[in-house]
Order: sequence, then C-alpha cells, then structure tokens
Amino acid sequence: MFPTCCRIPNSALSYSSVISSGEDMAGAAGGSNALFCKNMATSLVRKTKLLSMVSSQLNSAACFRNIHCTAACLKNRAARIRVAKGDKPVTYEQAYHPHHIGHRKGWLSQHTSNLQGEDGAAERVVEDVFIRRFMYGTFHGCLADEVVIKRRGNLLLICAVMIQKLLPSKFYFLIGYTEELLSHFYKCPVKIEMQTVEEKVVYKYL
Amino acid sequence: MASSCSQALRHHVCKSIFFLLLLLILFIFSEEIVIPKKKTWSKEAVLQALASTVKRDPTASDYRFQDDPYLTPKTSSEFKLFSLSQESGRNAAKYFINTYPKYFQKDYAQPHIPCLMPDTLEAQIEEVSEAALIERIGMRKVKAAVDLYDQLLQAGTSVSLDVTNQLLDLICFYGDHDPAQENVPEQRNEETEDVQDEPQAKKGRAAKASDLLKATWKEKNNAERIFALLSEPNKHSYSALIRGMVKYGAYSKAFSTYTDLLNSRLKADMHMFNALITAAPEVKEKYNEKWELIVDLLKQMAEQKVRPNLLTLNAVLKALRRCGTVGKSQAFPVISEMKALSIDLSLASYTHLLAIFYKPGAPIQGQTDILQEVMNEVSGKSFTPQDPDDAQFFITAMRICLDTKDMEQAYRVHELLGVGENWRLLGNDFQQNIYYARFFSLLCMMENIDVMLKWYRDLVPSVYYPSSNVMRDLLQALDTDNRLDLIPQIWKDIKQLGHANRQNLVEELLTLMAREKHNQEVQESFAECALDIKKIYDTGDRGKVLLNWTAGSLSDLISVLLAAHRRQDAWDMLKLFKTHNRVPSEELLNKFLMCVKEGGEVNQAVELVQISAGFCLPGTPKLIQRVQQEFELTEQKMLSDLEIQSFNSE
Repeated sequence: MFPTCCRIPNSALSYSSVISSGEDMAGAAGGSNALFCKNMATSLVRKTKLLSMVSSQLNSAACFRNIHCTAACLKNRAARIRVAKGDKPVTYEQAYHPHHIGHRKGWLSQHTSNLQGEDGAAERVVEDVFIRRFMYGTFHGCLADEVVIKRRGNLLLICAVMIQKLLPSKFYFLIGYTEELLSHFYKCPVKIEMQTVEEKVVYKYL
Repeated sequence: MASSCSQALRHHVCKSIFFLLLLLILFIFSEEIVIPKKKTWSKEAVLQALASTVKRDPTASDYRFQDDPYLTPKTSSEFKLFSLSQESGRNAAKYFINTYPKYFQKDYAQPHIPCLMPDTLEAQIEEVSEAALIERIGMRKVKAAVDLYDQLLQAGTSVSLDVTNQLLDLICFYGDHDPAQENVPEQRNEETEDVQDEPQAKKGRAAKASDLLKATWKEKNNAERIFALLSEPNKHSYSALIRGMVKYGAYSKAFSTYTDLLNSRLKADMHMFNALITAAPEVKEKYNEKWELIVDLLKQMAEQKVRPNLLTLNAVLKALRRCGTVGKSQAFPVISEMKALSIDLSLASYTHLLAIFYKPGAPIQGQTDILQEVMNEVSGKSFTPQDPDDAQFFITAMRICLDTKDMEQAYRVHELLGVGENWRLLGNDFQQNIYYARFFSLLCMMENIDVMLKWYRDLVPSVYYPSSNVMRDLLQALDTDNRLDLIPQIWKDIKQLGHANRQNLVEELLTLMAREKHNQEVQESFAECALDIKKIYDTGDRGKVLLNWTAGSLSDLISVLLAAHRRQDAWDMLKLFKTHNRVPSEELLNKFLMCVKEGGEVNQAVELVQISAGFCLPGTPKLIQRVQQEFELTEQKMLSDLEIQSFNSE
C-alpha cells in the first residue's frame, strides 16, 4: 500500500481513506450492502482521523524521511571488527579500520585506474573481486590474510600469505593451475608470489 | 626612447658579434667539432642495462620456485617433484581451458595474444576434401589424415602431389603413430593400442617421445603403402620416405629406396644425403667399408651438385665416431673441406670431434692438445642451437677434463657456459646434474680446499644438488687437505640434501671424525655431530629403521664421544653393542678404560671388564690386569675379578 516512510501531504489524506480500505465501492449491489457500507464508513472515518493526527505531528516536528531506492551502505560498519569479549583473534589488516588506510595500512589492490585521466577503474574492481574469490576457493583454508593484487604494466601480480597447511608439492600444483587459468582468462600474464607462515599471524584479540 | 632602444640594441648586437668572434677564434685554434651520429637504442636497452648489473644470487633457488623457505626444494628429488607438480597444475588448467573454451573467448588484449586463447583440438572442416586433409596434417593428427586420404582416394578425387608429399612427411616424421597428447589424459587408452606392437612398451603407458624414437619402422606401414600408390613420386616423396626409414631404424631399406631413386633418374636432395650418411655406419661392419660408403655418398652429392650444410658435416663426424682409427685420420680433412665451403662449425661438431679423439674408458695417449685447440676456437663465442647434439658438448667436454685431470680447460669450459646464450645448451636437468657432478669431482681431486669450498658455496644448492658420491669426494678432499674441522658443517649439508640415510657415507664420516685427535673445540663440535648422527640411527619413525649399526660405526662414534670426554653418553652407547649384536674391539675398550681412569669410577671399570668377559674377547685378561693395577679395588670386587679371571682362563 503506502510505503511506510513516505511524506504524505494533507491534501492527499482525503483520498487515503478510500484507497486504504481496499473495498470496491463501485460494485455495491442492492440494499443488503447498505448496512455493511455504513459500518465501513465509521471505521474509515476513525482511521483517517488517526492518520491525520500522526502526519500533522510529523510535519510539525520537521522530521521526515526520504525514499531509499538502494540497499543501505553502512559506512560506519564496513570492514570493522567491533570490540568484543577479548577471545577473537584478529590480524593487523582486520584490526585497523578503513580510515587508517594510507596511514597505518597499505592498499590491498594497486592499479593506476584511479589517477586523473585514466579509465577502467570499474573493470579493475570486478577483476579484483573475481580474483579474491578464486584465490579463496582454490586455496581453501590456506589463506592467512587478504590477497594483495598489484598491476605492473601488463602483469597481474597476486601476493598471498598462506598457512603451511598443504605439502609444498600441492601448493605448486595449485600455483601452476591458478597462474595458467587466470592468464588465459584475463589475457595477460598472471604471477603469484607466495609466502607461508606456520599459523595465522594474530595482531590482537578483540 | 628610440635612441635608447637602438642603443640597447646596438649594445646587444655588439655583444653577440663579440661572442661570435670568440667562437670563431676557438674554432680555428681547436680541433674540428664532429657531431656524432645519432645512436638508436632497442626497446629493451634499458632493461638489458639494468639486468647486466645483477648477477646470479647464490642463496636463491631456481626462478621457477617461490621465494619462501617452506617452498624451496632442498634435495634434487624435491626439485623434480615441485617442478613437475607445477607443470601438472598447468596441464590441469589447460585441460579445463580446452574443454570449456566458451568461457575464455573474450579478448581483452590489444594486440591479440594467440597463445592465451583456448586451443582448437578438433578439426573444423568435416567434409571429405583436400582442404580437410591439409587441416589435419597441420594439426598433426596422423591417423585421421591417413584415413581421410584413403577416403579421398576411394571417392575418386585425386590428391595433388604436394599434399601427398606433406602427408608422407607427416607419417614419416611421426613413424606412423599419433604424437603424444600431453594434456588430454583419456586419449591414452587409444594410443596404447599402437604402442603394444612395440616389444619394449609396457601396457597402459602413454606413448612418449622416447617411445617413438625407440619405435621401429614397421613392415607394411602406411608410408610405404601410400608411396606405392603414387604414380609419379618426386624427389620430395623419396626424401620423406628415406628420412623416415633412417629415423626409425630401417637402414638397409633406406639404401634400397635410394637405389630405386637413382634408377628412376631422379636427383636426391641434401636432407636425403644427410639421412643416408647417418645410416651408413649401421649397414657396414668394417671401419674401412663404412668410410668408403660415406665417401661414395659425398662424391655422389658433389656430382648431383647438392651443397652440403652443417648437418651434413655433423652427420659425417658422428659416423666417424664409429669408424675407429679411420675416424681419427679423416676427421680434420673433412673439417677443412667443409670450412672451405664456408660451413661454420657448431658445438655438435666439436662434440663429435672430441668424442672421436677421446674415447670413454680408453687410456689417454697424449692427445690433450685437441681439447685445448677446441677450447681456443670456442672460447668467448655465443652459440645458438643448430643441431640436437649441441646439448652434448658441455658434458662431453667435462668428461674429458675429468679423464685427463685438466683443471684449466675445465675452468674454460665453465666460463664458456657464462657467455651469451650458451646456458641454453647445457641441456635438461638430468644433463645439468651430470655436468656439475663431473665438475665437482674434478674440483675435489685437483684443487685445494679453499677453492673447492668457494665453488661449493657458489653452486650448492642454488644450481646443483650433489649426490652422495660427490659428497664422499668432498669428504676425501677435506681429508687430503687436513680440514677435518669442517666436517660438522658438511654433515648439516648432507642432512639437508637428504643423504643422511646412506650407510656408507655416514660410516665414512664417522671414521674420519674418529681417526685422529684434534684440539678441544673441534672435538666438541665432533661430539655434537656424533650425537646428531646417533639420532639418525635411532629414530625409526613408525618402526622403520633407516640405518643399521655396524661394529665399526659404533666404535667410531664411541671414540669420538670419549675424545670429547662425554663419558655418560659413551657409556650409554656401549650398551648398544649388546642390543644390536655387535662385538666391540679391544682398542675401544682400552680407550674406554683410560677415560674411566681419568674419571676414577671404579664400578665402571669393573663393569667394563664384565662386558669384555661377556663378549669373550681375547684381550680380557690383559684388561683385568690393568684394572687391578690401576684401580684401588675393594675386596669384593677383587673376588669377582678373580672369578672372571678363572672363568676366562678355562
């Protein structure tokens, strides 16, 4: 019916009662409906009075909401792990919030599309998302931290820190597979630089 | 205003005139100014200049591997395993790319990169036509091409001579088998049917390149059949057939086909002659006959006005390897004639030359100058691969240096490896291993230990993983130069290379450590090393025993521990003699007694005597005497001693 966060001008309130009832007033046939209609009318009047009261209060306080057409982008909550009991291990990357990028953190994806006069930023973002999901799935459970993607000329360099969960020969199998598949997919040379650690490096506990 | 302007202008003009005059004077009195020509640099000039500043990093592993300690191969088997697993990952990816090509069609690259597109493995043209045949020949599908050709003939369409020649080329090159498809595993079953004809092939194994070369020319195969169907074979067809026959071992057939060619008054071409020269040593027995046949072929070549090329020269030299003494006398004349025809020698020619004069296993008879002359010719030059046998040069040269114990030439050979593109001619990993093994053995034999260790640190393990034989040579070199204090470091390297389970290597190590007395700190390090070795003997994880104790190795270990005054450890080790059924030697017990005397443990001395008696060693009475003399024994012990003495004397 009405969206809940809609600004309702007073002039429309007179129509609102008709619409909100949802009855088909035009199709009333015969006198047997007369009593029925009278009951409807009283409830309608009550509803309209309530609605006008509420909207006047809202209008007077000058607080109204606009229509949102997209999902809410919660800038205050993105990429932040909130402080909890103190038993959740958190890496350096996760511990610092996005406003620390450039101050205490580096960038996870390095390319020149965001410079003045360069294009292709959106395509790079889509590629990055695909590459991150691909790495997460191919090296499942082995990633110790976020994948860093660097672009140098034509070359796509994927830098990853892995936990020593698999045998080295298995790692090399997956490295060869990833490099070959992504090279053919993106039509550019793709190289992987891998570093291994014994366990996930914990920065602090939140 | 105007006047001041003009004045300024005049002033300006005066100045410039003055300046010009000065320049003119300078010009007259100095040399001519020559403006140099503009230099053009290639696009990669900056990169090459930067690359020339960086030398090989001796602490890094091969470029194929990731720069991480967990992912670096430490032994040669790990090297092979990691590089093969990376390669098989690539093959798995290629399988997916070629099986689902529709996901990889979008082309981002400008300019287009053809090698990053999915391969078309299936032939596109379906109808029975000549174009389809050409396509299948281009895709190297031997069987499909032959079937299509038969279909074309049955349908009555004639196939042009060129296309038939191409088909013959294909069949003769691959010997009537389909080339091995590496990336497609399910096709293996089809190919084993071909390979099962070959006696050497095992069942279920894919036809590899080595199988194809060992494959023989079958009796009534497709090449001969198609050749027979040709109404007018030209020299290309004959050439293809002869080359195929020589490649797959049908030598006498090749010569009979050649006589057919001569009978039909056709001219032969260079490739045919090369193939026939290669086949010549196989069809004749005696050295003279072989040489005469080759000379005959060369004369015919001259008659038919066919110019020889490098491959001809190499074929002649390779054949001369099998001609014994005739080869030695004829090699240089052949080379000078070829040089007169302005054919430059490649590394393969030098390989064959060296092989003619230095037969493996034969005694050296003062022909050392040939290697030197070859190195004089070859030094400083960068070679490109022109002949498959080029890859044999370095290992042949190093073998000769090892046999003649010539260190100087070995250094020159190694230097040649660093020139230009020559590193590509070292061959695959296996050949590289052979080369470095020979180089290291020579170094161990000839050079003093410091030079040896310098090379060792430079090459191991970034380029070469030594085998256990080379490590033994290294130990002997240490022994010769009296640097046995380096043994613990070498032991660490041995463990890392995975040779810690070689019985004779470990025993030799122990013997060297136990042989002489060194100063205190060296003995301490030896003792640590000995305890480390003991762990290798003991730890059989999951009950698997890696090494077996022998009497010698046990004694050596105990001597080392005693020399470092580790009495308790040595005492524990003595118990092991009983458990492993080994008999200790007298001198070991004597040494032990001396050590015990220093500590003054009477009980231990008595126990020692009891152990000796337990093994029924002949030296027990002497031992007892010594104990009685040197130690202050209580009465009880004296009694037990006397018992033992009487027991032994019986």
